[in-house]
Amino acid sequence: MSTGSSLLALSLKGLRRDLRAGDVRALFVALVLAVAATTMIGFFLDRLDRGLTRQAGQLMGGDIKLEQSDPFGDDLRDTLRNAGLTLSDQVDTVSMVSRGDAFQLASLKVVDGAYPLYGKLRVDLGEGIIERAAGPAPGSVWIAPRLAQLLDVAIGESVQVGQRELTVSGLIDREPDQSAGFASLSPRLMMRLTDLEATGLVRPGSRIEYELLAKGTPAAVASVGELLTRLRQQGVEVEDVRDDQPQLGSALTRAQKYLSLSGLAAVLLAGVAVAMATRRYVDRHLDTAALLRCFGASQRQLAQLFAWQLAWLALAASVVGALLGLVGQAALLALLARFLPLTLPAPGMLPLLLGVLTALAVLVGFAGPNAAAAPAACQCAQVLRRELDPLPASAWLVVTVAGLVFGALLWLYSGDLGLAAALLVGGLIALVVLWGLGWLLLALVLRLATRFGARGGEASRALRLGASQLARRRQASLGQLLAFAVTFAAMAIITLVRGDLLSAWQTQLPADTPNYFAINIQPGEREGFSDILDQVADTRSALYPMVRGRLTAIDDRPAREAVPEAHRNDNALKRELNLTWRKTLPESNRLVAGRWFDTDTQVAAGSVPISVERGLAERLGVGLGDSLTFTIGSDSVTGEITSLRDLDWDSFRPNFFVIFPPGVLERYGHSYITAFHLDAGAHGDVLGRLVAAYPGVSLLNVDAILARVRELLAQVTRAVELVLGFVLLAGVSVLYAALTASQTLRAHESGLLRVFGAGQRLLSRVQGVEFALLGFTSGLMAALLAEGAALGIYAGWLDLAPRLHLWLWLVLPFGGALLIGVIGHLLSRGLRRQAPVQSLGLLGEG
Amino acid sequence: MSDIRDTYAASAATIPTLEARGLGKQVTSGERQLTILDDLDLCVMPGESVAILGSSGAGKSTLLALLAGLDTPSHGELALFGTALPALDEDGRAALRAGRVGFVFQNFQLLPTLTALENVMLPLELTPGRDHQQRARDWLGRVGLGERLDHLPKQLSGGEQQRVAVARAFVTRPELVFADEPTGNLDRDTGSAIIESLFALNREAGTTLVLVTHDPHLARRCQRCLRLDGGRLVALEPDEVQA
Repeated sequence: MSTGSSLLALSLKGLRRDLRAGDVRALFVALVLAVAATTMIGFFLDRLDRGLTRQAGQLMGGDIKLEQSDPFGDDLRDTLRNAGLTLSDQVDTVSMVSRGDAFQLASLKVVDGAYPLYGKLRVDLGEGIIERAAGPAPGSVWIAPRLAQLLDVAIGESVQVGQRELTVSGLIDREPDQSAGFASLSPRLMMRLTDLEATGLVRPGSRIEYELLAKGTPAAVASVGELLTRLRQQGVEVEDVRDDQPQLGSALTRAQKYLSLSGLAAVLLAGVAVAMATRRYVDRHLDTAALLRCFGASQRQLAQLFAWQLAWLALAASVVGALLGLVGQAALLALLARFLPLTLPAPGMLPLLLGVLTALAVLVGFAGPNAAAAPAACQCAQVLRRELDPLPASAWLVVTVAGLVFGALLWLYSGDLGLAAALLVGGLIALVVLWGLGWLLLALVLRLATRFGARGGEASRALRLGASQLARRRQASLGQLLAFAVTFAAMAIITLVRGDLLSAWQTQLPADTPNYFAINIQPGEREGFSDILDQVADTRSALYPMVRGRLTAIDDRPAREAVPEAHRNDNALKRELNLTWRKTLPESNRLVAGRWFDTDTQVAAGSVPISVERGLAERLGVGLGDSLTFTIGSDSVTGEITSLRDLDWDSFRPNFFVIFPPGVLERYGHSYITAFHLDAGAHGDVLGRLVAAYPGVSLLNVDAILARVRELLAQVTRAVELVLGFVLLAGVSVLYAALTASQTLRAHESGLLRVFGAGQRLLSRVQGVEFALLGFTSGLMAALLAEGAALGIYAGWLDLAPRLHLWLWLVLPFGGALLIGVIGHLLSRGLRRQAPVQSLGLLGEG
Repeated sequence: MSDIRDTYAASAATIPTLEARGLGKQVTSGERQLTILDDLDLCVMPGESVAILGSSGAGKSTLLALLAGLDTPSHGELALFGTALPALDEDGRAALRAGRVGFVFQNFQLLPTLTALENVMLPLELTPGRDHQQRARDWLGRVGLGERLDHLPKQLSGGEQQRVAVARAFVTRPELVFADEPTGNLDRDTGSAIIESLFALNREAGTTLVLVTHDPHLARRCQRCLRLDGGRLVALEPDEVQA
């Protein structure tokens, strides 16, 4: 066996013979499961991700949204079209619209023939609400019902927009790309781009925003990535799905992270199964290795031989697993078609490749060290005399290599190197702690079992025997304890993260989430408006004063020079910020650094303390003690940052980047803003009263946005639950694989106990006790591991508030005892019924 | 050579430890049916030592497994301590063996994850009692392994493992011990030591010994030698046992 080709042939021949052995079949099944699980989840996530992104793109109006105050050039359009993107032009502005003597400020949305790129408009053209895939025809407009009410205009009548008279042909019920920006606070009027010039609204100095929306495949969007970066540097606002819709963005980002985490859990579980199956495979191959050594094979040749055999096995398993994964995800989507109304794109090739690569990585990581160490550890004389400790020094090698591979996968799935490294190091420390804890628990079990020795009765005898069997099989039991603990912990983490994620989403959008914003409430209207809201609104936020100011200096340096280069185009520097003042910390704000205002002393001392949102502070590169100067009208106000806050941007309540203490901003012109919730039935009357009493106040209805976000969250929730089911199944299959792997030893034990006179009932009880104890102890260890891991994942990755889960400490040990007890007991049923002569392999001797 | 029934003279007042009449065992191999044991008779009295010899593949281990109730015969009568084994189910046969039968396997059958002491304690743990550990220690001491109590089987030589197996077979003070090639894997000196242990225990405790062996030295130490040939047992005179 000197040449590579003969090694290759020998490896194939060996593998063919090996397939007769149970352990190779187990390894093959574990690998197939690994590939099937990862590709199935990968395929599903990929398609779901693209489907959700498409739906989110619908909320934004396109996959890419460019915005600036000047029209976009044809060169840019050509470049985007050449990249395979479909374009739509849009102009947003605010203008007075009139009919007769009635005037009303309206938010104009001027669209072209390609609008909308995604979704459909819901509009009443006079015969009830219908869906339309295009905007109004040239020469006509669609308006919001509120504008129709304010102008007292009906369908078929005309309104004056600038210098052009346009016919009202429909009332808008819902726009597919309705956004919550303050530009849309005034009631909507939608018209065609071809009519814009005739209105005369486009003049130098007009406050007009030009938008260019693009729709295309992810590859097409990715291909213009550099162009988008250049545009950003030139001051063009470039937005994508995730940063345009913060409410949607955080939900989607968390869902994707969760699904990735689930994929990772499946990989980990598959790795555990592979590691358990490999151990037996390698133990058995020591004999072959020893014989080949005796026949003159070098360690290197043996290593190559085993590597080739594993590679063949991995290749075969990858093909079978990937096909199963593909079929599985199709079946899954067919099952879920009713629950997932969005149309999903065809499966891509990436998950297939990723699944196969992941499985290979798992095999190399979890099985490689064992296989590689076997030839090195193998001294033929020792093996033939059966005196070799199978893998004396390789345990740490296995942990190290498997850890590195898993860390790399963690990085791949999370996209966060720091987090991956932290979790990996934490995981390894946890493993060492668990190993020690497992050792102590087994010692305790043995000690307790010995105490039972003195008592009679079959039940106590079974308890003693089962416990001592488990505890005496130290190394094997420790391995199983760790495998089961990791499996239970992975299942528990996925379950509890799912629960916390869902409750976070429910908390995020409770039924009484404010569905109206009211702005431009004048100081004199404040009390009256507040009184009406108290009577009619289910819930409402406080009324916040709002002063608009531009950030001009940071620590006495021009703001644009003072901020880090990467953030010099930040919106906070380009637009006026909404500033407010307040004595107490606003609702759904959390202080993360510094102290809240001690206004009496600080303002009196001439220093103005301010509180800044943490994200903004990070982007501006400022912290506690730095000063920010705002230009308000012709004045400047400087404040020193004394606290940083985290905001809940998903709360649908007024939020402010910068808060001043009372006594500083009151002298500047200001209005008030609030958010409130109105029941669907109360809308008409209440709004009528509000509009009549406070005609200057602008009301923004965010019901449509809320409904969209709720719908999306519902779909993501179903996907999350489905993936949880996958992971639980993968976990159970690991338990099955691990228990099957230990069957040989158990058969030996039960055969011997039979010879010594144990009956089936006693064996059944002994095995029941052993499995239940194994499950209970590993469940206890899993609870510890899951709590620790969840703390890290919540704080470091999912941005959820860490919390303790006391139920884990009950459910995991007792659930583990039940699960392992039942599976193990069922698997061992055949062993108990087997004649000792079969269990001990006595047939055919002599 | 003469038929076993002619040479066996049992006292009518004593129940044989082991009695087989017309015992047969057939197995199916593919489409063929192989007869391993055919109409075999055997009677072993309490305290007796019997050696069963035979060529490789003659069915010695199968016979031992049948006699101990580890397997079931295809036909024939078989009684252990006066109880008919074929009438019992697996549990019944196990209960009959409990504490009364010891077994020394050809390949030792030690549990690899248990220490020598734990392996010897295993049969004791099926019965109530406080002194299991002490009894196992004593027996390991008697077979010369008092210093190797905490060693795992893989840390012991083949002879030492066999001695652990012997200690395990005797630790319950059984009335009957089956031993399958107890010296088959051992060198001459170690084999002799094992033989001495077996017969010393046989003498001291009055234990009945049924041995399957190739070893003529071991066979000659037994009161009776039988050869398994063509599925039947035939008695051998001492001078017929070849060195």
